[in-house]
Amino acid sequence: MAQLTTFSFQPGTSVLHKLDVRFKILFVILISFISLGGGLMGLGTLSMLISVLILHSRLPLKSGLREFRFFFILLLLILMARMLTTPGVPLIEFKSIAITRPGLVSGIRICWRLVIIALLGFLFVFSTRSSEIKAAVEWFLKPFGFLPVPHIATMLGLIVRFIPVILNQAKETAEAQRARCLDNRKNPLDRLVRLGFPLIRRTFEQADRLIVAMEARCYSENRTEPALCATRKDWMALFILIVISGWVLFISVLL
Amino acid sequence: MDIIEIENLTHRFSNGTLGLDQVNLRIKDGAFVVVAGPNGSGKTTLVRHLNGLLRPTAGCVKVDGVPVQKDLLRARRLVGMMFQDADSQIVGETVYADVAFGPENLRLAHDQISERVACALAVVGLKDFADQPPHLLSGGEKRRLAIAGILAMEPKVIVCDEPFTSLDYPGVRQVLKQMLALHQAGHTLLVITHDLEKVLAHADRLLIMQKGKIVRDGIPAEIVGELETYGVRAPRVSQLGMEVCSWLN
Repeated sequence: MAQLTTFSFQPGTSVLHKLDVRFKILFVILISFISLGGGLMGLGTLSMLISVLILHSRLPLKSGLREFRFFFILLLLILMARMLTTPGVPLIEFKSIAITRPGLVSGIRICWRLVIIALLGFLFVFSTRSSEIKAAVEWFLKPFGFLPVPHIATMLGLIVRFIPVILNQAKETAEAQRARCLDNRKNPLDRLVRLGFPLIRRTFEQADRLIVAMEARCYSENRTEPALCATRKDWMALFILIVISGWVLFISVLL
Repeated sequence: MDIIEIENLTHRFSNGTLGLDQVNLRIKDGAFVVVAGPNGSGKTTLVRHLNGLLRPTAGCVKVDGVPVQKDLLRARRLVGMMFQDADSQIVGETVYADVAFGPENLRLAHDQISERVACALAVVGLKDFADQPPHLLSGGEKRRLAIAGILAMEPKVIVCDEPFTSLDYPGVRQVLKQMLALHQAGHTLLVITHDLEKVLAHADRLLIMQKGKIVRDGIPAEIVGELETYGVRAPRVSQLGMEVCSWLN
């Protein structure tokens, strides 16, 4: 039985699962922007909010973090770059290399923001069907008549549909290569190339099979979309988020 | 009445390989047809013309009297297809969403979609799995889900491409039972398989393909002895001179 990646929609009964997808997109945008302007206290508040959402929606954080492992390498590189290049009072000095205090604070802040945005994306994908995303994108783009709205919405819906497929392919390909002692090759570039090419080929083959299956079931851009319906719960969630955003901005300006 | 009429169907792939060569075939409404043949003999290529997934290089395919190319949507609604790889056929994030995918494409109203999905899930016995992610189902359940997805579109013909691949014994029995129930309900069944042992006892017609042509066409009991001449393994019991029996007994 195929084990599905956690970076995909999982059915559930949490508030996040029940919220209108348009509001969820709005929340993601709002929190992402607020996190850009927020200081450490503000980021702490947003982190608490996200922690509550993770616990409530029962997001499988442990397996999710495992899939984010390459992202953490990127964060580490960003942190190091910040620590080593920002001028200020040095915390640790070794020959000509110095880690500065402002660099450390700024690096932590940037990484924290990125983690918040990544977790938001994870929560969004975890609680939203790709068909709902497609319908919401179409709704948001409706005023822009000059854009090929159904095309854009279909593409976005399919991208979200394909993320778990690609991750699964990557996992299977990596396991197959490990079974043939790829770990003995120490050159990371060589390992990346050997993983990358079969992965791309298999992903295209899988995409091809999926397209044929969708075509066989009459897929087109004009289909019955999920009914988008804003309820009192959505407006209440928006109100709560605006209050939290106001608080984050307030403490960021104050401190 | 013939539900499928194929006349002089030829298909040449873009690399020049001849996939089908002047195939003529008529299938009666309600028939249970098994298509066998070695790899690359053109079985899948043939059935993919039935709902316009492939376009003929020459010749014509009619479903229920209407050429496929004339009304592609109608052909795809009437001919449901269950693919070899059940995983790649799964489109929805839940069992319900996957079955609803077809009716949504037909632009049906929401209440009609719910009705069709509930009915299809009840037929294949997956009603209690409606909110589950399809990837967590077993092999046999995934095949039944694929059948439900097809049934929700209310087809007349159901094509099963290697339906028993990588299934265990209970899985094979589950799928076979489902196929027989569909046949008894009046659907025309076309089954592509190498595993003739599992299905031949229930079929009323056997086609053998080789190099893009139908080389034998008849009642299974009459031509089962010739199978190995065409590179298809004959059921073990028929090699022993006995009648092929059902896997459900």
